[in-house]
Amino acid sequence: MADPDLDFTSGDAGASETYPQQCSALRKNGFVVLKGRPCKIVEMSTSKTGKHGHAKVHLVGIDIFTNKKYEDICPSTHNMDVPNIKRNDYQLVDINEGFLSLMLDNGDVREDLRVPDGDLGKEIETKHGAGEDMMVGTFFFFFFFFFFFFPWFKLNLVYEHCSVAFLTEGSNITGPLKYFVQN
Amino acid sequence: MMAAVGAPEVISQLESAAKVLMAPPSMVSTEQRQHAEHIFLSFRKSKSPFGVCKHILETSKVDYVLFQAATAIMEAVVREWVLLEKNSIESLRTFLLTYVLQRPNLQKYVREQILLAVAVIVKRGSLDKSINCKSIFHEVSQLISSGNPTVQTLACSILTALLSEFSSSNKTSNIGLSMEFHGSCKRVFQEDDLRQIFVLTMEVLQEFSRRENLNAQMSSVFQRYLALANQVLSWNFLPPNLGRHYIAVFEATQNVMLKPTESWREALLDNRVMDLFFTVHRKIREDSDMAQDSLQCLAQLASMHGPIFPDETAQVSYLAHMLEGLLSMINGIEIEDSEAVGISNIISNLITTFPRSVLTALPSELFSSFINCLTLLTCSFGRSAALEEVLDKDDMVYMEAYDKLLESWLTLVQEDEHFPRGCFVQPAVQVFNSYIQCHLAAPDGTRNLTANGVASHDEEEINELQEDDRELFSDQLASIGMLGRIAAEHCIPLLTSLLEDRVTRLHGQLQRHQQHLMASSAPDSVDRKVLDDLYEDIHWLILVSGYLLADDPQGETPLIPSEVMEYSIKHSTEVDINTTLQILGSPGEKATSIPGCNRTDSVIRLLSAVLRTSEVESRATRASLIELLSPQMGKDIVWFLRRWAKTYLLVDEKLYSQISMPLSTAFGADTEGAQWIVGYLLEKVINNLSVWSSEPELANDTVELLVTLVEKRERANIVVQCENWWNLAKQFASRSPPLHLLSSPIQRTLMKALVLGGFAHMDSDTKQQYWAEVLHPLQQRFLNLINQENFAQICQEEAVKQEIVATLEALCGIAEATQIDNVGSLFSFLMDFLSSCIGLMEVYQNSPETVNLIIEVFVEVAHKQICYLGETKSMKLYEVCLTLLQVYSKNNLGRKRLDVAAEEDQYQDLLLIMELLTNLLSKEFIDFSDTDEVFRGQEQSTGAGRTVSAADVVLFGVNIVLPLMSQDLLKFPSLCNQYYKLITFICEIFPEKIPQLPEELFKSLMFSLELGMTSMSSEISQLCLEALSPLAEQCAKTQEKDTPLFIATRHFLKLVFDMLVLQKHNTEMTVAAGEALYTLVCLHQAEYSELVESLLSSQRDAVIYQRLADAFNTLTASSTPPTMDRKQKVAFLKSLEEFVANVGGLLCVK
Repeated sequence: MADPDLDFTSGDAGASETYPQQCSALRKNGFVVLKGRPCKIVEMSTSKTGKHGHAKVHLVGIDIFTNKKYEDICPSTHNMDVPNIKRNDYQLVDINEGFLSLMLDNGDVREDLRVPDGDLGKEIETKHGAGEDMMVGTFFFFFFFFFFFFPWFKLNLVYEHCSVAFLTEGSNITGPLKYFVQN
Repeated sequence: MMAAVGAPEVISQLESAAKVLMAPPSMVSTEQRQHAEHIFLSFRKSKSPFGVCKHILETSKVDYVLFQAATAIMEAVVREWVLLEKNSIESLRTFLLTYVLQRPNLQKYVREQILLAVAVIVKRGSLDKSINCKSIFHEVSQLISSGNPTVQTLACSILTALLSEFSSSNKTSNIGLSMEFHGSCKRVFQEDDLRQIFVLTMEVLQEFSRRENLNAQMSSVFQRYLALANQVLSWNFLPPNLGRHYIAVFEATQNVMLKPTESWREALLDNRVMDLFFTVHRKIREDSDMAQDSLQCLAQLASMHGPIFPDETAQVSYLAHMLEGLLSMINGIEIEDSEAVGISNIISNLITTFPRSVLTALPSELFSSFINCLTLLTCSFGRSAALEEVLDKDDMVYMEAYDKLLESWLTLVQEDEHFPRGCFVQPAVQVFNSYIQCHLAAPDGTRNLTANGVASHDEEEINELQEDDRELFSDQLASIGMLGRIAAEHCIPLLTSLLEDRVTRLHGQLQRHQQHLMASSAPDSVDRKVLDDLYEDIHWLILVSGYLLADDPQGETPLIPSEVMEYSIKHSTEVDINTTLQILGSPGEKATSIPGCNRTDSVIRLLSAVLRTSEVESRATRASLIELLSPQMGKDIVWFLRRWAKTYLLVDEKLYSQISMPLSTAFGADTEGAQWIVGYLLEKVINNLSVWSSEPELANDTVELLVTLVEKRERANIVVQCENWWNLAKQFASRSPPLHLLSSPIQRTLMKALVLGGFAHMDSDTKQQYWAEVLHPLQQRFLNLINQENFAQICQEEAVKQEIVATLEALCGIAEATQIDNVGSLFSFLMDFLSSCIGLMEVYQNSPETVNLIIEVFVEVAHKQICYLGETKSMKLYEVCLTLLQVYSKNNLGRKRLDVAAEEDQYQDLLLIMELLTNLLSKEFIDFSDTDEVFRGQEQSTGAGRTVSAADVVLFGVNIVLPLMSQDLLKFPSLCNQYYKLITFICEIFPEKIPQLPEELFKSLMFSLELGMTSMSSEISQLCLEALSPLAEQCAKTQEKDTPLFIATRHFLKLVFDMLVLQKHNTEMTVAAGEALYTLVCLHQAEYSELVESLLSSQRDAVIYQRLADAFNTLTASSTPPTMDRKQKVAFLKSLEEFVANVGGLLCVK
């Protein structure tokens, strides 16, 4: 593993990082590897050379880590690599010197992720602070989207895809929703 | 001139502002520019600016300032009309005209603007008859007779300004006049003044056409008058007694046909008029600009109809004269490029306007020379159009002309029973042949050949947005197909032999490539040129054959065209049925190698030729030559087969008065032929889906063929007897390759087809088995998956997600297959899934693309099924939709996402949710359910006692969605439209539900309405205004005061009042705003009086005060006391229009 950035073979729990899929079966809003980067497909169109030519697919994707735009054009019979993307939800336990302490369902805690830059980061810190003040009655989850894709994320501490939802205990689950809960 | 006090200051201020505005962008800042604009705007709004403006016009040297002064005069005259002395208006008009006359060197735009002001004065004056219009015509005719080209040009400009001011309705709102006023002005104008303008114009044209040598200046005057003549002849004559609403619709029509009133008979029904235009055209035809006008004048004359003709004889002789003139014009000349469109317009207008009886009453020699001429012209334009395509010209004049002529042919031959029998056969043969020739490659045809015979061949990039030829040229193809039917005797065998020949060559070519491939390991340097030429030939031959053999009507049963049927019947005695069936049943063999192939039915033989093409394609795919094939040809084949199958397969003898034996023997119900062909088509579909998954369009055409095969019960009955069908179903259910490579829309349609097929006639065991193979695996796999204990852990694994996504796609496909007779079982099946889908919403809340798809399933189910559902079932659907919305809202409120696609994702979700709500709401006005008849015997009792309407659910849904709708999201136009459509719907259909809404929801609803009224597009604003009347009526009904709704409507009264009275609004909205205002006034009479009082009391000018007070009195006079009564409302709306015309502009004065 000379260059960890380009390593596709090792990763999380032995699952393969990508799998091939015929271009025509890709879909907008799905994922694909473009120029070696895992991308969300934001545009997909076909064209052909000459009236009797075969279809080519034009893909525009946005790197899920860097938000950079990548494009590719290939025959529609071509097999493209689709990244295996895994999202995990963590409960936010604490914030330490700009790093988040996150707990997985199985109780493992990871502390290698930095608080995101910008407004979202500030919001997380404020809410977390407020949460501490109000120990009783309030309790919130911090849902965190996260990609186990590149082994080097640990080095760079990259997180791009964050989501926070605040729930108040006991609220919302009423009426027909019970149906869902029971199921 | 008291207003001129301080005029020099005003002028210097305006001139420096003009300097700023005219400066290049780099020289001035945005603020400076805005300030300068503001100076002009407030100048134009200033009160009685006439003195200053006159002064400016006389002294200023800055053109832009002169222009603004003219505009200010025009606007102020209209605004202050009622306050002005009649003779001061008169003198203002004279001043402006003299001003222009004395300054021949004015900038064109300044002059036009001043003349526009004159025209506006004349028009506004015709309302109160205070201005004598006649004097202006006197002045103009004097100008014309002066013989001075400059003065004549000016005269023409005056007439043009008058004409456009009186003709065009989009100017109306600019001067605040009602449509009715506009209409009556126009009517008076067209009876008298317009004719006077026409006579003046004709005199000028006469004069010029006599002169030998025209210098440049004279010919420019000539051109202006010719354009004016064209404008008069294109006048959209208002018929008497056309209602206010219709006028707007009427005015919007393009391509006006000339339908003058009776009073024009003398002026227009005179052969000398027509002759003059033919003479004029001959004189100027080399000048392409002028030629366009003269030909357009002739085209307008060719469209003349209506009360101007006293009887049919007059029409016949008019048409005869027109045709003679036309023929002698065309026959003597070589047509210029610039003439093609004009000439085809003349012909097309003649053929569309004159009734068949007039055409057939023409002298037969004249008629046949016209038809000959039309034939030659069509063929020649067709060839030139093909040349234009080769040269890739931007301006395709011949193509446009060719389209027009083909369209005219269609009109002619569609009613050919009026004409002598067979009179169109020869022309049809010629036009058909030339079309085919232009579309085939050399040596048979001339495709891609430039004028000197050089072939051009380039490969351009074609994107998916470009339409397929079958759509792009559908009009041409429909005409050619129709002509082909007229000359079926010639055209069907021609197409067959050309196609058979191309297929044989294609077969040979592919075989050579294959041998080459097997012989050498080196990659074949394929010469695509030969193949592509063959593909392109086959492409056009199949398209023409498809359009010839069948129509593709939307929503009705397509019938075999009578010409084709007759043709087949006529030859049925010479036909050997067995050989015909043999030709049909052996697509793998060369048709000409079958003994007796000359004694086959030609219609069946043409289909067989396409089947042969299909067979060559299928065999090539099996021989791994896919790379060499053309997906375009693949599309053409399945497109043709689909079109053909809709019309010919299982031909229903009851629908025809006579039926061809060969056709009914080969394709009739219970025939081996039909069974064979269904099997063949099915095999084709399966083959295509497995080898062409990478070609989305071809795969789509293929599944559409499959849907066609199963959507009609009779066809489906045969389909389900095929083993292949079952294989397809099993293969798809098992999600094994290659079907899973298909893109998701295709998989959806495939699922739809499989479900539709399941409702074919089968014995109950078979049926049970079928569903066990198709639907149950879907359910089983899904249940197994989500019921796994560790589903929560594995749900994010890609394989699991794919399975889920595939299931959701399939559910959409199942919903799409809903028909009235299967809704019962499909609904129950889908309901089980919908409940589980809500669970998935939770599981996949972090996966926006999956959430989106889940909502889509609900949208589809509601869209396709709600209208058939009885009360119990509807309730179930409402409930589950409601739960979906609750979960969605819970998961998305307060959520923040950091990625770029976040907004787009949410936008898509909300759009789908709105769609879902609208679909649910549609139950209230489209309901096909018959008190649960579909479900009779099933759980009748559970629904009893509950009365939840769609409105309850939708309102609840809106409540959930509303917090998510941010003002940012409303910036997406489609989302905004959908949202306002939804809330207007709710107010209109269920006004009684509005007062019962929870407070918060009520507030946001009212806020939405206000926002929509005040700060959205006019379309949305209109929607909101429409929602107000039902709300006010609701309040009046309950008679309760101090309810929140009552208070809200009071607020809206003020908003609407201000909107109508104080703000400049467009006239389209007057009706919607007026209706809303009236109902609100009825409800809040005291508040209305207060509003009027406070408005009046703020007026300091006594004249304006009186004027306004009178106007308000007249406004409500017809409806005192105001009551919610239709008659009174209409009367109010009428007075409102006058009110807006009279004082609308007055209140805007600063």
